[in-house]
Amino acid sequence: MTAKNRIQLAMAIMALLIAPLAVHAADAADSDVNTIVEKTNRVAYYQGDDGRARVKMTITDPQGRTRRREFTILRRDLEQGDADTANGDQKMYVYFRRPSDVNKMSFLVYKHPGSDDDRWLYLPALDLVKRIAAADERTSFVGSNFFYEDVSGRSPDKDAHELLEVTKNYFVLRHTPRQPDAVEFTHYDMWVHRTSYIPVKMDYTGRDGEVYRRYEALEVKTIQGHPTVTQARMSDLRSGGSTVLEYAEVSYDLGLPDDVFSERYLRNPPREHLR
Amino acid sequence: MTARSTQERLAHVGIDHPKAVSIAFAVASVFFVLLAALPSVWPETFAMLNPATVDTDPENMLREDEPVRVFHDQMKHDLSLYDMVVVGVVDDSNPDGVFNPGALGRVRELTEFATGLRWPVGDEEPQQYEGVVSADIIAPSLVDNIEQAGAGSVRFEWLMPGTPADREASIAVRERAARIPLFQGTMVAESGRALALYLPLTSKDASYRVYRELQSKIDEFDGPEEYFITGLPVAEDTFGVEMFIQMAISAPLAMLVIFLLMFYFFRHAALIVAPMLIALGAVIITMGLLVATGNTVHIMSSMIPIFIMPIAVLDSIHVLSEFFDRYPETRNRREALEGVMDSLFVPMLYTSITSCAGFVSLVLTPIPPVQVFGFFVAFGIALAWALTITFVPAFIMLLPERTLEQFGAATHDDAEEHPSPLARGLLRLGPFAVGRARPILLATLAAGVVAGWGITLIEINDNPIRWFTEDHPIRTADRVLNEHFAGTYMAYLALPVAEDDVSPASYAEALAARAEAKGTALSSELPMAGMAFDKLAAEARSAAANAASVEDLLTGLERFTGDALDAAEGWDEGDAWDAASLFVSEEAGRREAFKQPEVLRYVERLSRHLETSGVVGKTNALPDIVKTVYRELLLGEDAAFRIPDRSDAVAQSLITYQNSHRPQDLWHFVTPDFRTSALWLQLKSGDNRDMSAVVEHTERFLAANPPPVPMDPQWFGLTYINVVWQEKMVAGMANAFLGSFVIVFLTMTLLFRSPWWGALSMVPLSITIALIYGVIGIVGKDYDMPVAVLSSLTLGLAIDFAIHFLARSRDLHQAGDSWGQTVPRVFGEPGRAIARNVIVIALGFSPLLVAPLVPYRTVGILMASILVVSGVATLVILPALMQLGERWLFPKPAPEKTKEIA
Repeated sequence: MTAKNRIQLAMAIMALLIAPLAVHAADAADSDVNTIVEKTNRVAYYQGDDGRARVKMTITDPQGRTRRREFTILRRDLEQGDADTANGDQKMYVYFRRPSDVNKMSFLVYKHPGSDDDRWLYLPALDLVKRIAAADERTSFVGSNFFYEDVSGRSPDKDAHELLEVTKNYFVLRHTPRQPDAVEFTHYDMWVHRTSYIPVKMDYTGRDGEVYRRYEALEVKTIQGHPTVTQARMSDLRSGGSTVLEYAEVSYDLGLPDDVFSERYLRNPPREHLR
Repeated sequence: MTARSTQERLAHVGIDHPKAVSIAFAVASVFFVLLAALPSVWPETFAMLNPATVDTDPENMLREDEPVRVFHDQMKHDLSLYDMVVVGVVDDSNPDGVFNPGALGRVRELTEFATGLRWPVGDEEPQQYEGVVSADIIAPSLVDNIEQAGAGSVRFEWLMPGTPADREASIAVRERAARIPLFQGTMVAESGRALALYLPLTSKDASYRVYRELQSKIDEFDGPEEYFITGLPVAEDTFGVEMFIQMAISAPLAMLVIFLLMFYFFRHAALIVAPMLIALGAVIITMGLLVATGNTVHIMSSMIPIFIMPIAVLDSIHVLSEFFDRYPETRNRREALEGVMDSLFVPMLYTSITSCAGFVSLVLTPIPPVQVFGFFVAFGIALAWALTITFVPAFIMLLPERTLEQFGAATHDDAEEHPSPLARGLLRLGPFAVGRARPILLATLAAGVVAGWGITLIEINDNPIRWFTEDHPIRTADRVLNEHFAGTYMAYLALPVAEDDVSPASYAEALAARAEAKGTALSSELPMAGMAFDKLAAEARSAAANAASVEDLLTGLERFTGDALDAAEGWDEGDAWDAASLFVSEEAGRREAFKQPEVLRYVERLSRHLETSGVVGKTNALPDIVKTVYRELLLGEDAAFRIPDRSDAVAQSLITYQNSHRPQDLWHFVTPDFRTSALWLQLKSGDNRDMSAVVEHTERFLAANPPPVPMDPQWFGLTYINVVWQEKMVAGMANAFLGSFVIVFLTMTLLFRSPWWGALSMVPLSITIALIYGVIGIVGKDYDMPVAVLSSLTLGLAIDFAIHFLARSRDLHQAGDSWGQTVPRVFGEPGRAIARNVIVIALGFSPLLVAPLVPYRTVGILMASILVVSGVATLVILPALMQLGERWLFPKPAPEKTKEIA
């Protein structure tokens, strides 16, 4: 099955599951770009109060050679329950499993949408926790085509948004960075599914006016009522390399305790929460 | 005799059918001009024809399927390496060099500009580009820095995130780079005053365009810093452009000089147009054929005209010279021409055959451009011969009778009564050579000994950058950048782990045993471990039969344990399969040789050893990256600048390194399976002998220090490829020369029906070659590509003189005469023809001495030397030897002893 077919299939399945809800949502606010952005951001990064997924990462280089990494990702929103916003602070914990030589390596992020994130890295072979100083977040996430910012979520405040077009299935948004010098793109366009608010495609345009980087949601499942991207690909259109993330065992609202997301647990992984 | 009549018919065809011959020649020339020109000018309209394509790539000195090229291309692909344009930025006027806000700002601007230097090619989807590979540019604003950021923190950031605001910030850029081995000496000069940008290219073809665009951008800058653009791709492309200038200016200029010299000798403009037309026609038809048959115009084939021209003119001058001397006797051109053709047909045929043999023998060398060169020069010579015996007589026949009225007359009469200086000199030279035969022989032997010694001093060496003259911008850039940096010539040493010597089956058996043991050991803490590991062992044994390789087997087992883990029910089973999956991953990890500390330490020792060779300015390799990252993770202390002790520490350092803007940088040094690594060497010199020295230096190390894991080290990179083709060429040339030497000797023996005469005819060319190469050795001129090829030309030119001299000597020697009595006749008109040839061709190629490219200059100098030496050898040494060997050469009738010459 081609990627395109998979998306279409996923969309069809999803449409059946959540159509009643979505019709209502779309009517009310589809012309307000900020509402679309907020809903999209919520669907992409803020579903439930917390979540867990086991992730298989396949990096394919321009020569077609692949490397695989596996990790478990935990996420907890600071604002729980009804106070939930789509742009609040979050904590993330990434626990590496494979390949064996990075087994138990872990990575902790405190995400502050209004300011720089805090990041720590634990390297078990060096028995070392390093704080990663605030700097550019548009660097590779463990050698893949995804950036840190793609994993933790780019704050909507960093861009100006405009609604380019409303098609049969999608809102097409354009995000233009407020600080153009801080990023390598001039803008990126996002195709947001009108009923689920899942961003199914993002195209990043470089200074030369060409699309050089593309995100695609390849598979979407509804898990505990939340439409969830379970397979996504980021492609470097210039080099031809790409990375696919497959999310397995996704679950939400696990009641993860806040102290799991602390430096102490970097060295001593919270095994019961990682299974 | 049939042969005789064939020869006669051939020799007289131009005399009998002058119009037909001239028209055929004109038609052929126009046809070949069109054949090459039409598809070049209108490629679409004449798509079925081959257009002229220029090839300046030294790689093409080797066949495309030559193992070293195949490996070079494979490694370039596997490690994403590209040919690079290097832009050096130097400011010697400022104590901080280019590390000031102004210059760094402009460097940044230039870098930004360079990222856009790419152009769409073709109309495939996705769109393909040609030009600079922006992701892999090495420039301060585009590379990453890793450094301490206060208590327990590291920072990953662009080395030069913006234009530095002040002096301190500028110096800081330099200091940051100095801590990173990959940059120090490569991007930032050890002198601290210069920077270099490395712009990788999708293909070498784009380099000239990139060069020009960069140059025009640089011209907009008004700072004090200087910019130097170099790199082999630029050199090659520039060479291609200059090659054309060369062909368009120097070659016609050579023709003009030859024309003027011939005019001086023959005083008849209309008549000497014939040899010029023959030279031009032979060149046009040969080059037309070269292009039409789909051959590229390579540095070698661009020299074809220069080689054909003298040889083409050579024969015509013999004909003209003879005609010049004979015509005034009868004033009947038909009679004169018939006489000329009858006496010259055989010598010209043999000189052409031998010259062709010399060049055709180049087809035996393993270098395609040299093969093409040899074949087409031989073709051109054969063509020139055919034209000389047909078109020169035809041309003379077609001239109005009155234009010949004055021809030869004045000078002819003078030749008898008031001989020209040349004729007078020659008339004295012959008797002198015969009279001083012994001293001449001794002097020749002495010169031979000195030449032999000189030949032992010959240094075989070449360097494409040195094809440019000393003051050429590319040479200047090369010199300046190699003063400031560790070296701009790149060579690579690949270290692939040797193929497995175990079969998948025996590997599986050992793995299964380890798995079972591990399962037993783990069963106390993981209750279901025994079950999972036993299943894994069984799977390993059964899958081994179908596994193509150990890698294949391990990939299958990773999938097997991964699937089992996904399907596991309950924590116990999940934990057991998790352990089994981890075990397989560890097994696979052990095969990743270049994550193993002992392997990395070995590579590091090898690197350090290479740097002691004296030629290698610097090496860049995987251990440098590992050590840098490890140090910055451990508080940036110098003591931590080392390879960690465990392979997982290496792996975690590297994954940290890859959390950068440029994770792909790692893959220039090692393949993702960590089973092939490459050392990047920066050499200060691109000389082949220096590269060869590095190769030997490395081999000694490898022999004395076997790697901890079996490896098959192999070189690649343009600097190394140059060495390979040169070695092949030297050996190939030597074989080709020896082969043609034997063929020529046999031909001569056949021609003269005597081994003595055959041997004698080899003397001038042997002496010429010995002397030329002896002098090359003594003055320390490198034996490079043009020098190697000239041995064939020597053969062709020197044998020409010898044949004419000897054949005419035999003709003119009358029964009963001694050699001494014959000499004055031989030094009459035949001697003059040889001397005129020497002068015309030697001087004719003087325009090459001002050529912008060194190989052409070398050819010009050597061509003149060859002609002078072989002319002297023919006119002095041959008569002396004939005097000494008269007994064997003119055996009978010789009733009385040779009369002494006064």
